[in-house]
Amino acid sequence: MRNWDDDRLLAALGQALKAREAVPEWFIETGKSAFAWHNIDAELAQLTYDSEQDRRAVAVLRSETASIRALTFTSAHLTLELEVTGNSLLGQALPPRAGELEIETKAGVASTTEVDEIGCFSVDPIPDCPFRLRCRTADGTDVLTGWITI
Amino acid sequence: MRDDPHVVALVTRASGGDQDAWYELVDRYAPLVYTICTRYRLSNHDIEDVGQNVWLLLVEQLGKLREPAALPGWLATTTARECLRVVTAASKAGRLGTGLDDSVLFVDDTMIDEEILVAERNAALHAAFAELPPRCRRLLSMLVSDPPHSYAAIHAELGIPVGSIGPQRARCLERLRRSDVIAALVEGEEKINLRGGEPGA
Repeated sequence: MRNWDDDRLLAALGQALKAREAVPEWFIETGKSAFAWHNIDAELAQLTYDSEQDRRAVAVLRSETASIRALTFTSAHLTLELEVTGNSLLGQALPPRAGELEIETKAGVASTTEVDEIGCFSVDPIPDCPFRLRCRTADGTDVLTGWITI
Repeated sequence: MRDDPHVVALVTRASGGDQDAWYELVDRYAPLVYTICTRYRLSNHDIEDVGQNVWLLLVEQLGKLREPAALPGWLATTTARECLRVVTAASKAGRLGTGLDDSVLFVDDTMIDEEILVAERNAALHAAFAELPPRCRRLLSMLVSDPPHSYAAIHAELGIPVGSIGPQRARCLERLRRSDVIAALVEGEEKINLRGGEPGA
């Protein structure tokens, strides 16, 4: 780059400035706010099923569309199955075991609820902003889902 | 640039809990992550989803990155993997008009390598630009704006006599060219070339 002439260097500078301007502010904010999760020793659970995505695929085949939203998050040690029922979110931890569930919004921990001995829990009401669930079981498994918007 | 001490220092500081260092890393590499997402032609919603996962994974990995200098490569590969996950899910659900193959064909390792090189070059140019005196930054910004400002407009805005704009442009670009950040980049690209990578600058 040191032997580039002025025009080439100026064009490269123009591209560099433009590349950064092309990134929307919300995208950068998403990245910056992720630092809130620094030093949290939880395993990430990936979204492996979302009825919302399935429904769009089958809507053309059915006369009535399913109204129940179901989601599954999977990690190596724990699976969380979620189902929206009315105003609340019912969940099942698999394999079943007791623990504690945190409902976390971007602003921090919104509330906690109990996971009973057969792995069932409910989140009521469902937060109206994006949230994620962190499940800590009695045997020390600690799992964090991706962001959920219902 | 792969062993840029500045990036290594940022990763070390961020993993020690320094929020400013994390913000600088995000500012520096958001264009890389974002550009790769757009290569997969994702919707804004999916781009946000991928972005969240990538940055979150990075936050988790900060202390574990064996080679902090390999960060751009790690970010690019992780972003591509996350994009592919989203594209595959959308394709299975029949949400994409175009088939999965189109998108995958569009993105390959060469593209990823190029994006990493471009991102590093842009980051260096950005850093070098930020070190320029304000007068140079204003002049060069006006010259690279789209559409570019005429010399008459630059004269009206910055008060530089039209006859001096050319020489000032040359002086400002020379400062940019001689900056330490650009030197570090050139060295890094030469190392990559020695290993048989892309032709450099």
